[in-house]
Amino acid sequence: MNRWLTLGLLLAVAAALLLRLPHLNQRPLHTDESVHAVKFLGLWEGRGYRYDPNEYHGPILYYVTLPFVWLSGARGAAAVEASALRMVPLVFGVGLILLLPLLGDALGRPAVFWAALWTAVSPAFVFYSRYYIHELLLVFFTLLLLAAGWRYLQTRRLGWALLAGAVLGLMHATKETFVFNLVALAAAAVLAGAWEHWRAGALWFPELRLRRRHLLAALAVAAVVSVVFFTSCFTNASGPLDSIRTYLPWLHRAGGASPHEHPWPFYFKRLLWFHKAGGPVWTEVLIWLLAIVGLAAAFTSHPLNGVNLRFVRFLGFYTLCLTAIYNVLPYKTPWCVLGFHHGFILLAGVGAVALLAWCGRRRWLAVVIALALFAGAVQLAAQARRAAITFAADPRNPWVYAHTSPDLLRLVAQINAITATQAQPDQTLIKVFARGGDYWPLPWYLRAYPHVGWWSEVPPDPYAPIIVASSSLNANLDEKSDKRFLMVGLFQQRPGVGMELYVEFNLWKKYLEMRPPPKDEE
Amino acid sequence: MNMKYCSDLTKRLALLLALGVGFATHNLHAQDLAPLPLKLPIPAFMGTPPDMQQMGPEVEKLSDKPRAPFMAPKGCVNLAFKKKVTSSDKSPITGSLDLVTDGDKEASDNSFVELHKKTQWVQVDLGTEAKIYAIIVWHAHNTFQVYHDVVVQISDDPDFTKDVTTVYNNDVDNTSGLGIGTDKEYFEDYQGRLMPVKGVKGRYVRCYSKGSTYSALNRYTEVEVWGLPAE
Repeated sequence: MNRWLTLGLLLAVAAALLLRLPHLNQRPLHTDESVHAVKFLGLWEGRGYRYDPNEYHGPILYYVTLPFVWLSGARGAAAVEASALRMVPLVFGVGLILLLPLLGDALGRPAVFWAALWTAVSPAFVFYSRYYIHELLLVFFTLLLLAAGWRYLQTRRLGWALLAGAVLGLMHATKETFVFNLVALAAAAVLAGAWEHWRAGALWFPELRLRRRHLLAALAVAAVVSVVFFTSCFTNASGPLDSIRTYLPWLHRAGGASPHEHPWPFYFKRLLWFHKAGGPVWTEVLIWLLAIVGLAAAFTSHPLNGVNLRFVRFLGFYTLCLTAIYNVLPYKTPWCVLGFHHGFILLAGVGAVALLAWCGRRRWLAVVIALALFAGAVQLAAQARRAAITFAADPRNPWVYAHTSPDLLRLVAQINAITATQAQPDQTLIKVFARGGDYWPLPWYLRAYPHVGWWSEVPPDPYAPIIVASSSLNANLDEKSDKRFLMVGLFQQRPGVGMELYVEFNLWKKYLEMRPPPKDEE
Repeated sequence: MNMKYCSDLTKRLALLLALGVGFATHNLHAQDLAPLPLKLPIPAFMGTPPDMQQMGPEVEKLSDKPRAPFMAPKGCVNLAFKKKVTSSDKSPITGSLDLVTDGDKEASDNSFVELHKKTQWVQVDLGTEAKIYAIIVWHAHNTFQVYHDVVVQISDDPDFTKDVTTVYNNDVDNTSGLGIGTDKEYFEDYQGRLMPVKGVKGRYVRCYSKGSTYSALNRYTEVEVWGLPAE
């Protein structure tokens, strides 16, 4: 790695951190984030972890979080902050940049720099690098598998094969959808081989000849890594079998039996042109246009300094296959774009180099194009900041999906203010009801209260000093209790989903008497 | 054993006895008080919830039935239609005050006036005193949201300093300073919020609000005042 590339990567890492780090705690936790957070707390507090094949993906996220929370200095569940959890995807998101030099002789060093820059400023990657879910980890492990595989093919060293095997095990233990990446990789190998055969008459993709001993060793390492995590360190014997059984419910969902069934333009709209009334326009079309330039250069065999065109063609086939898989499936959630969008980001690195190479000796044109590319990066960074901070929980942001409204934090603040009037605030009894257990992320925000009960319907005895009831239940506890319990607020849990807060009359009276005078908001 | 020693011994025994009684009493109290043996259900995990923004007509409705017809004396008309509107906000952020009574209650960007943050009001001058039977308010129904501190008052005094009748108030903690309300907060929808009024007489209707779950700003799409001219 030369000095300029090192400097360029450091700048990309700095930009990535600058966009990802601020206000990590600010956005309320999404339901999925809070479910993972509470599951992690079980592991953190010594209650262990057991893989559930029906939901919640693989075990890696929770185990990887342990050192992050330990380093945050948190002691006890109440002290664990969302920012400590969100540091996990953030570090893996920035890690995507640091892995790129491993592909220096595949993409070429200049393309590595441009790919690092697009990774740093991509709004989708910035937004989900601050989201406590599995997706960023899967993208990171996929890139590491690709890099380790590439390095193995270049050196034939056992170490790279073992690393690739370990990463394969980690991908399996991250998310069930890792099979899509493997299918896309295999399909890309076949298609790239067929392409070489058609164009050059070569029999096969020669680099793909593997040593059987190395392959077996890599698969053994993958199996060991996978078994260690799925058995929760050899405490859950059914874990590995469950990791296969999980595909039954997931296939059911992928087939469309899910509220997340969306038509094919779902991902393209979010990535290429997204605009809702009153909101800004969001687009990463620059990255995709550059990727098309990169693909065109690779498939027209236009020589580019330092770029291995066969690798780029393989990468192109992989990206297109993965894009097709995710778009054909009716089940779609916006964070799933990261897998195939990352392929486009790598190709966009090559595209930028191809564009500059096209200028030839017209240096002034190269300077103009380079400046335009940097301006594009700045514009993407501005979008990314807007996505991560200003519109972090706003439905006008393409990456906000079924997200918790900031209004829910007002509900939590109100509960905390009311219980603060009690001699032992954390001992207050709180009852929460929501149809189908749809009270998340409250279990995370009320984790400091040991006496909270959770129901999926209004229980026979619903009354408690503080009651939170989903509006859809029509609890009407104020009228039913003859105003012994008052509904003191209606809060938005998510767009279209409300929660009613009821407080025992005397407690509410006490709170009104004791609350500090209101502050001037402006 | 001399007397001094006996006296000391007695004092020490008394002290020990007092400490023992105190400790026992303390323990007794501690035994009297115990945490309630609450058996509460633990939270059940759930998957990714549906995104209401994407679901269109399938979204969960807070009330899936249209409002029941409201019964009022025959001849009631919308007295507010095209009547003069004033406001606490002299320079609205978007739109103009006449939009509040122009009859357009669509959820489009051109149908509402948007007032600044904090508690704001719009006031309709009916032109003459009237007997009012219902007031319907549409703040903004382009997205799911709940407006805070919704207070509606009727008066013959344009400054609302005397003879004020409050017909709706959901400011339960009195943060807007108009009195503690006992009405409920509600989700905005296309039907608007109908506030029944029992024939209260007045010329001016004033509607307060203090932002919503969606925005700190205050939007007013339409206000209708249904009634009969006072005799």
